[in-house]
Amino acid sequence: MIPFIILAVIAIAGALGVILGRQPVHSALALVGNILALAVLYLLLSAEFLAVAQVIVYAGAIMVLFLFVVTLLTAGKEEGEPPEELGGQRWWAGIFAIGIGVVLAVLAITHPGSAVNTGIPSNFGTIHEVGHVLWGPDFLYLMAVAIMLLTAAVGVLVLNRPMKRSRVRRPGRREA
Amino acid sequence: MIPINWVVGLAAIIFAIGAIGVMARRNPLIMFMSAEMMWNSAALAFIAFARQWHSMSGQIMAFLIVGTAAAEVGIGLAIIVTVYHRRHRLDVDEISGMKG
Repeated sequence: MIPFIILAVIAIAGALGVILGRQPVHSALALVGNILALAVLYLLLSAEFLAVAQVIVYAGAIMVLFLFVVTLLTAGKEEGEPPEELGGQRWWAGIFAIGIGVVLAVLAITHPGSAVNTGIPSNFGTIHEVGHVLWGPDFLYLMAVAIMLLTAAVGVLVLNRPMKRSRVRRPGRREA
Repeated sequence: MIPINWVVGLAAIIFAIGAIGVMARRNPLIMFMSAEMMWNSAALAFIAFARQWHSMSGQIMAFLIVGTAAAEVGIGLAIIVTVYHRRHRLDVDEISGMKG
């Protein structure tokens, strides 16, 4: 129980750091803390392959991509949060989200599960087990994710193709 | 042994914090990181349920969530960079061209 409490405190502190950070870099670093705490929690929940995947994919690839974009877009700028334009949106957002969180958390904590959770198999959550299911009964899902990642890569290329400047800058001018 | 309902409660709290970030922040990068946190809390709940029911399906679902989040980050950051190149500001209120 004590490791869980420590990890939960780190994860919640990281989550709060993400939404309270003044600059995107601070939020990114807090998100790394949150992700690493969750990865250790996955280990405690006997999901060792997913803990490793979490560190490699999230803390490795995704956060590096985030940091690239942050340095590309906000380097050398001291840009604070823009002024509020939608009246009271933040307060309503906070009230609704805290309400949802409190209700969900109270429901989850006060309703303990009824399943037996002893006698877990020793190889539960290892890469062997995950691969066995992914390449066996759930092969369709793996293929779907593969096609989705391919589509996303093509989509990124299409989104970032060089745009025709004359058409964008001077819309009135005819092109030969 | 961790009580599974406490883990699900932690997932709910992280989900709510992420929801606050998406709704209350206006920097698209920070909104995006909050959305990532919400994905992550869903994966945490799935892994907790997998542990509870001794079923690998929850872990498979968490694996698919990680893959989906990777695709989402690629597309989302490409959109943010494209919008920034056109408007030169990091503010989601810049993208109101399709407002009804």
